[in-house]
Amino acid sequence: MPADSRRINGPEKSISPYAFSKPCKDIKITEPSLQRKDGRNPDNIRPIFLKTGLITQAQGSAYIEQDGTKVICSVYGPRAVIRKEEFSMQGQLTCDFKFTTFSCHNRRQYQQDAEEKDFSVQLLEALEPAVLLHKFPKAQVNIMVTVLQNDGSVLAASVTCASVALADAGIEMYDLVIGSSARISGATILMDPCATEEYSDKDSAHVNNGSVTVGLMPSLNQISAVTSKGELEFEHLNKAMKHCVSMCVDLYPVCQQALAVAMETRINADPKT
Amino acid sequence: MEKKSFKARYNEEDRYYDNKGYSSVDYNYTGPFLPDVNKMAAPMICVPGQRLCPDNEKVTAGRGTYSRNGFVYSSLAGYLQTAHSEDGKNIIEVIRDGDENVVPSVDAIVTARITNVSPRFCKCSIIKVGKTDLKDSFRGMIRREDVRATEKDKVEMAKSFRPGDIVMARVISLGDSQSYLLSTAENELGVVIATSEAGVTMVPVSWCKMKCPKTRLEEHRKVAKVQARFIEYSGSGP
Repeated sequence: MPADSRRINGPEKSISPYAFSKPCKDIKITEPSLQRKDGRNPDNIRPIFLKTGLITQAQGSAYIEQDGTKVICSVYGPRAVIRKEEFSMQGQLTCDFKFTTFSCHNRRQYQQDAEEKDFSVQLLEALEPAVLLHKFPKAQVNIMVTVLQNDGSVLAASVTCASVALADAGIEMYDLVIGSSARISGATILMDPCATEEYSDKDSAHVNNGSVTVGLMPSLNQISAVTSKGELEFEHLNKAMKHCVSMCVDLYPVCQQALAVAMETRINADPKT
Repeated sequence: MEKKSFKARYNEEDRYYDNKGYSSVDYNYTGPFLPDVNKMAAPMICVPGQRLCPDNEKVTAGRGTYSRNGFVYSSLAGYLQTAHSEDGKNIIEVIRDGDENVVPSVDAIVTARITNVSPRFCKCSIIKVGKTDLKDSFRGMIRREDVRATEKDKVEMAKSFRPGDIVMARVISLGDSQSYLLSTAENELGVVIATSEAGVTMVPVSWCKMKCPKTRLEEHRKVAKVQARFIEYSGSGP
């Protein structure tokens, strides 16, 4: 790894902390009846905590916690386009996805890496169909997503978090976008996988070993984004996507309620309404 | 969470949750319209994508809503408000109080602060659209030919605006990617607040001059004839 000259690097004679950490055990995902490592059934999702308005400086913000996965998102705008870009009658959406350096098992760098850039684009593509871009011509809305802790299903959590933050910011949207992900291992489909489940061990089968992330707009009944990893057969992919869709529909009321609670407190705090 | 059969979950009827009343109004409802929400004690809170009512000839989708597939949906997180339009329709709106996201639109009256004056144009930052304060300013530009309606070729920019002046202007075009095009070519538009070289707020004496109350010196400006309806009293009140 190239040393970052602008930051304080460790002493020359140092040992990587990973030498002392326990090796990350590869999990064996086998029979569907088996319980997962954290005691869940394959279909179970982790409990969700969702709250809006944590970042007071931002126009809107949201925080989502799915057990070990913690994502915070802030939305700024609509504001004047800063960089010199071409004129467009549609508003622009920009997305900035970042893992904090301490969020993953291996330390992340300060600069955005390829995976983070990839996630930014996927997030943008998931959210763009839901936003009424023609309502703010020439202006742009900036979405900043920061992963505080990564325990699997980060992209799905980010999609949900970002769409709630957009709604909290008062950006007009056709619908909320709810994200969900599934891990496919043969015939087994694990919903909302945690970090140890997201990666397969080297010896496992090559086919039907991957993951799917879906972004759904439940009220419109439209899928805004799908991404899959690994070589998957159609039946398995189809089945996993259906599971993801039903999970999104299950999550929808949670997001609605988080927003409604935020609106209620806003109205109660503001006596003029 | 018990496992749910997918088919039962995901058919058309089942999709719309009624989660403590946040999700949707009965969409089979064909009566005149929703309960009169304005009279209700607690306002009905809406979230984006929430189905509000059927879209028929009796209703109009107003601000914060959109209509799709024969229904009116909310596009904002806010609370529901209905009003009656002149032609007897119900206007459905979703409102966020004092927290609307506004961007300058064509024909809107904006308040701007002059930042830079050059012989051909002056640049300004738009700080207010209508009566709504902007959180972030937008860049605007007033060209020489848009300063006043008559004798356009005799306009001198330095005699019309000075950096720091507060100007009321009308958006004539969205302009280029950099700035909005503004115009002050109306009697009611132009400089409303300006400070003299002595640093005192000046008083207008004619449509093209303002006077410093301290030094009694007159300075040239394109002065706006301020209308009462644009004046807002803040703080101590009238």
